Amino acid sequence: MSIIQINLTIAQMLDYTMPILFAALCGVLSESAGVVNIGLDGIMRFGAFFGLLGAFFSHSPWIGLLFGIAIGCLVGALHAFITIRWNGDQTVSGVAINVIAVGLMTYLLEYVFSTTGYSPQIQNYFGAQAYRVHLPFLAKIPLLGAFSNLSFMIWFGFICTVLMHVLLYHTVLGLRIRTCGENPKAATTLGINVFRIRWFAVIVGAALAGIGGATLSISSFSGFSDSMPNGVGFIGLAAMIFGKWTPFGALGAALLFGTGQIVQSIIAVTGIAPKLAPGLTLILPYVLTLAVLAGFVGKSIAPAADGLPYYKEQR
Amino acid sequence: MKALEVRSISKMFPGNLANDNISFSVEKGEIFAIVGENGAGKSTLMNIIYGIYTPSGGDLLVNENEVKIRSVEDAIKLRMGMVHQEFMLIPRFTVTQNIVIGDEPHKGIFFDYGRAVREVRELSERVSLTVDATALAGDLPVGVQQRIEILKVLRRGAEILIFDEPTAVLTPEETVELFVTMRKLQAEGKTILFISHKLKEVMEIADRIAVLRRGKLQGIVNKKDTNEEELARMMVGRNVVLEIPKVDVEVGAVAFACHDLHVRNKRGYEAVKGMSLEVHGGEIVGIAGVQGNGQDELVNAMIGFSHPVSGSMELNGKNMRMVTTAQLRKEGMSYITEDRGRRGLVMPYTVRENSVMGQHLGRPFSKGIRMDYDKVGEFAEGKVKEYDIRPGDVYDTAGSLSGGNQQKLILARELSLPHNFLIASQPTRGLDVGATEFVYRKLLEEKKAGKAILLISLELSEILGLSDRILVMFEGRIVGETTPDKTTEEALGLLMLGVGIDKKVQS
Repeated sequence: MSIIQINLTIAQMLDYTMPILFAALCGVLSESAGVVNIGLDGIMRFGAFFGLLGAFFSHSPWIGLLFGIAIGCLVGALHAFITIRWNGDQTVSGVAINVIAVGLMTYLLEYVFSTTGYSPQIQNYFGAQAYRVHLPFLAKIPLLGAFSNLSFMIWFGFICTVLMHVLLYHTVLGLRIRTCGENPKAATTLGINVFRIRWFAVIVGAALAGIGGATLSISSFSGFSDSMPNGVGFIGLAAMIFGKWTPFGALGAALLFGTGQIVQSIIAVTGIAPKLAPGLTLILPYVLTLAVLAGFVGKSIAPAADGLPYYKEQR
Repeated sequence: MKALEVRSISKMFPGNLANDNISFSVEKGEIFAIVGENGAGKSTLMNIIYGIYTPSGGDLLVNENEVKIRSVEDAIKLRMGMVHQEFMLIPRFTVTQNIVIGDEPHKGIFFDYGRAVREVRELSERVSLTVDATALAGDLPVGVQQRIEILKVLRRGAEILIFDEPTAVLTPEETVELFVTMRKLQAEGKTILFISHKLKEVMEIADRIAVLRRGKLQGIVNKKDTNEEELARMMVGRNVVLEIPKVDVEVGAVAFACHDLHVRNKRGYEAVKGMSLEVHGGEIVGIAGVQGNGQDELVNAMIGFSHPVSGSMELNGKNMRMVTTAQLRKEGMSYITEDRGRRGLVMPYTVRENSVMGQHLGRPFSKGIRMDYDKVGEFAEGKVKEYDIRPGDVYDTAGSLSGGNQQKLILARELSLPHNFLIASQPTRGLDVGATEFVYRKLLEEKKAGKAILLISLELSEILGLSDRILVMFEGRIVGETTPDKTTEEALGLLMLGVGIDKKVQS
């Protein structure tokens, strides 16, 4: 492979990585505060569709991104309302969001665009040359050359990882968030409002999942496909666990899973393994996810109060 | 001056009046004890004072001003602090992080960890409560963890300190240390509320004592005008035998024996390092030791939860080293657990179901794959009467019973299984006077019936009162054997800490 090909491959790998990363960061924030959000796959689907919708009608991916954030917050608020305000089961609420997302987006796709399967393609997306971040001084350096011409969303993913790390481990709010995820009762006895912190973490987390969805439809691709996010949200959850509920761990895991995706497409495109049934290579990233989880879950410890509803006056 | 006054406080939980019109006042600089059995409403009352629960009625006064405490934040602002029964610590956080959460030193939005560490060190020096500010809280012994809790409330400027059963988890030495700290705080003018059901400790540390029974205040007494017996009577509402009667039984054949037993703990380290012991019929063998010296692992091996690495284990002469729990039970082992919630009972199941668990397979409780719930019900009804398990409805869930009644249910089940060897692992942990007395009586009945009993306990008075022989366990080994008439609590306490043990024996 030539240098250019390698650079393109790396860039494409990052395109695959970022949606996984945003999903994983959503999980990290939400679960650090003690709320499991398996609905994040559904929230990504919301984000993917509404992100495209915003970009399509405004002809600006920035508006699309805002749409993705807004819908993420909204669906996150629903999850928070069910699980924090009413102490509903976090798994049931998450599954419900996933199911709603599947049906509702298919319906909206037909209703808004009168098409099935795919939305119309857009010209103004973050992957388009006009919206890329150009860093020409990197272009000549081997390997780093891939970073000279990337979508804004990829850099945004890296930035969010750093911000999340700073938030969780270097701010007062972060310490309190983690306290709520480890021992909400202790947090209460210290005068921390567990409910408020959990609302914050779930909604901001869901906004990240919404961004992740928008990344699919207006950065990695230039349109919405009815199969989105194709399980990326669940791979993101796996990345969160593999990354031990830390932002940088999630980044590392997302990069690994992104590499799995790119290997799969290389096999598929180059026909290295022509004997394999064509669909079979598609499962590679998921097999990788399973293998990693089976091998590492035991060593990765969730926040102690993760997934438990909190009742203040429980006896 | 009155630091705290409680006026006609009531708290209603669904179907349960936990606090019924309680009034008292506490003077500044006083150590005021509140005693009562489990479920008497002590913790509820403290949670109301500390703003965790909202009272159904009544008023609170702090420093003779009427106050509304709607949240813990309000309580903290009124300079109150609570050291909780279950520690409110986060094991994965450092000591410093645990102490400062909720009132963190900060620069803008950023947490200033360096300054936090310095502040914690200064505070710990000033009040001479030594802690390692940068250690992980989860790695520290419970005595130190409690110090963290105390530092936490002192840092918030607490003037009224509430200690909710602080000695429940401490060794005798740690308790002595805690009392020294409490006296020192009192000397500094702090007001202390001390919640307990251990009368001996209350008599040692308190100035005045309030007694609660079933949510009602039974009376307030001065320490110098009362004694343990009177307090016990007020708590339970009848005379209680605090002394354990001596029962002499002829010692029978060896029921359980193990030789050079080595057991690994969950993390793969050897926690039991070569233990040999024998338990005869009609004999209670007590194992004394500070928590975490291999008792849990020993019990796990004995009940078949984990297999020993090496050594032999025999029950009634049969090799039992690599067998399942079911086989051990069939051979005559019964097990009273300290952990009612995780091992003893299935909390969401009913009393009826819990009462036959372990003997539910086969007649009379099942036929083929079908449970015979009529038979199970009959059996459970009988046991509920025999053991006086309250409230007495076999359709209640085990989780809805009080700790004492849960333990009675476990006793009812385990003692009705055909057995000749009984493992009683901290059988009175967290129980009040009445329930403790019940457990002692049952254990002595078992002994009279010629059963072999292994008693593992952290309560020295229990070990000394019940055992015929005492083995002291330290770091996975037996470091001493004695009998109750040849030793004292102090001597045992030193042995338990490994003081005066020949280094050669250890290595």
